[in-house]
Amino acid sequence: MVDISTRPSPASPLDLPGVEPGQSQAALAEENARLRRICAALIERVESSAQPGTAPYAAFEHTVVLAEQVRERTETLRHTLEALREAKAEAEAANLSKSKFLAAVSHDLLQPLNAARLFSSALESQDLGEEPRRLVRHIGRSLQDVETLLGTLVDISRLDAGVLTPDRGSFAVGELLDVLAEEHRQLAAAEGLDFHYVPSRAVIDSDLTLLARVVRNLLGNAIRYTTSGRVLLGCRRRAEGLEIWVVDSGSGIAEDQQRTIFEEFRRGPAERGRLDRGLGLGLAIVERIAGLLDHPLGLVSRPGRGSRFSIRIPYGRAYPAPPPEVGAEAPLRGLTAWVIDNDPEICIGMRALLEGWGCDAVTATGVDDLERGERADLLIVDYHLGETDGLAVAARLRREWPELPVILITAYHDAELKAAARARGYGYLLKPVKPLRLKMAMLGLRRR
Amino acid sequence: MRDTVAPPLCQADSRARDPETAAAELAAALRHPHLGLVLFFCSAEYPLAALGEALTAAFGEVPVAGCTTAGEITTEGYGRGRVVAIGFDARHFAVSLGLVTDLEAFDLVQAQRLCDDLLADCRRHALAPIAEQTFVMTLLDGLSSREEQVLATLDAALGSIPSFGGSAGDDNHLAHTHVFCEGRFHGEAAVVVAVNTRLPFEVFSTHHLRPRVEKLVVTRADRERRRVLELNGVPAVEAYARLVGLAPEALDAGVFARHPLAVRIGEDYFVRSIQRVNADGSLSFYCAVETGIVLTAMTPAPILEDLATTLDALASRLGPPSLIIGCDCFLRRLEIEALGQQQAASRLLRERRVIGFNTYGEQHHGRHINQTFTGVALGSARG
Repeated sequence: MVDISTRPSPASPLDLPGVEPGQSQAALAEENARLRRICAALIERVESSAQPGTAPYAAFEHTVVLAEQVRERTETLRHTLEALREAKAEAEAANLSKSKFLAAVSHDLLQPLNAARLFSSALESQDLGEEPRRLVRHIGRSLQDVETLLGTLVDISRLDAGVLTPDRGSFAVGELLDVLAEEHRQLAAAEGLDFHYVPSRAVIDSDLTLLARVVRNLLGNAIRYTTSGRVLLGCRRRAEGLEIWVVDSGSGIAEDQQRTIFEEFRRGPAERGRLDRGLGLGLAIVERIAGLLDHPLGLVSRPGRGSRFSIRIPYGRAYPAPPPEVGAEAPLRGLTAWVIDNDPEICIGMRALLEGWGCDAVTATGVDDLERGERADLLIVDYHLGETDGLAVAARLRREWPELPVILITAYHDAELKAAARARGYGYLLKPVKPLRLKMAMLGLRRR
Repeated sequence: MRDTVAPPLCQADSRARDPETAAAELAAALRHPHLGLVLFFCSAEYPLAALGEALTAAFGEVPVAGCTTAGEITTEGYGRGRVVAIGFDARHFAVSLGLVTDLEAFDLVQAQRLCDDLLADCRRHALAPIAEQTFVMTLLDGLSSREEQVLATLDAALGSIPSFGGSAGDDNHLAHTHVFCEGRFHGEAAVVVAVNTRLPFEVFSTHHLRPRVEKLVVTRADRERRRVLELNGVPAVEAYARLVGLAPEALDAGVFARHPLAVRIGEDYFVRSIQRVNADGSLSFYCAVETGIVLTAMTPAPILEDLATTLDALASRLGPPSLIIGCDCFLRRLEIEALGQQQAASRLLRERRVIGFNTYGEQHHGRHINQTFTGVALGSARG
């Protein structure tokens, strides 16, 4: 680039290029006037720039400045988010490894414990004196308690580590509750409590083993925290599902504690003055399993009056669902269907089939030959039409009849074509067309 | 079936002067069962109504958008008097189109609604996260004088979604520029195309102009008509002619291209291109002007070198682009022609797979800018 300035440097950027400054009074006055105008323009600009203007240049300038700010802030935000994401990943990894560690340790502890129990029962069968026999029995019971506690720890760590996946299925709730009722009736009787069980014939959808753990924990708690009165196990049908109720006439739970009792290592005041051997993990397990199974928990309690724990389970299917009523002819009767297929034989066949279902079939070997009445309820079109294709024909007809349902038929399967048909909301069938499938497709489109 | 082998983006162009033939040629090259959008750029010499009808007939239900140009970037490089088109495959691009016909009344509420509609439409078929994998292309009537407000408003509504575009041209007649949407051409209008894709992409803008020492203060301007009446306290033509060392009569688009003026905002210079000299000694601009803004004289660096560097950098970030949509200011093309570098330019554009047009102004992140090469580079499908 040639420097076109003729002025010797250094020059003011505001000098008029190509004009030598005159030294006469008149020339200086003129230059002075010019600089005043520049000043005035700059003053106007500076003063108006503070106003939130809607002027075009201001809009441009504002956008430029804003874009820069947004860019900077986005950058900062991205760094912050990255740091957060890393921290979260670390925390999750730490939590997971803790849960895995606990699961592993608990499992390793169970092995020698098992052995100790075997030895203690072997010892019990030996010919011992009365006092040693009593001591051995105590040792055995203590070992059993430790085993139960460890089992609970294993459960909760497995739940936390996410290694437990529910195995859901339909079963009669009686299968579960009858057994549990029998178990706990004896336990309640041993504590001098009445036990009531109201059987139900409902069918539910859940994981039998995990749900049994929930109800067992709830019943165990009810018996533990009830000094006198009764414990009730029953069900209530709700629209959303079946609620299993465990009701007791125990000490109850104050409202401000009804949330925290589901946390780990929380225990109610031991009522019975007996040695309470729980770890306070029962309800924590209940809550985790309920969350895993997506069964909502409920609690209603009044201190001194008792508590009602409930868990709601969706209904299961007692029998396989009845098949859809494809046999019924009625839904298709009176339907007008356009059929476009460049094979006249197929046209004849389709007409016979459709008329058999009470439909009016208008067939054609090409879209231009189609005798279009006022409207049709459905278009059945072959994809392979020689010059054009079924998608194009359907598109063309849908321009006139935008809601026209379409079933596309093709001789050989093509995933792309299937996706294209899907994307347009068309039915998609393979040749040879099976009457039942066609009817299902027609019913499906008609229902929409 | 050919659709299974179709690449995500196809391009085609036609030299045919007859609209029917041109449309048929484009359709023959682009049509397939999954065609989701046709974007075209055509010479303003075409009988536009007839071309619009022919394109609509040729592409049927497939949405078509486009605009008139001041020259086309075709599969062979620079072209003139042609129509060039890009076909987007619906399996790789979820696309939504919007048309703004009343630019005067386009406010933030309307912009918000338009963007919501466009993005909601995209979201229905979205192939990738909307916020990260969507860009917006704008095509504006290049003589509407409303670009700044419309773009600023649209950008505010789009938030973090990158946008770019070009102002339609008319082969330097400065008379009638048009955008195409919903089956016909519109004046005083804007087309907004939202594109969601899994393909990597980058919206970019570059220019090759460097600042000089001289400053020109706009001492009087007519903002409504984008005219500068006075620079540095003397009639605008006089001041500019002195700056470039030419007689006022010698000023033309070629001179404007070689001696641009720019405003500096922050660290960046934004060229404000001169459109023409008026009889009253004022200069008309392609973009907003205002009394008191300071224009810096700019000087060009090697233009193709700058473009090649920019495109290389894009390719190194995205991998080899499958296509670049380019909005290339027509003043750049004038400069390239004046330098006799058309062939080198065409070769560069062809090799880097650029399709686009010569504009009367470009748009980048809501800013109306001049004398740049602005566009989107689309990478290739991963794995």
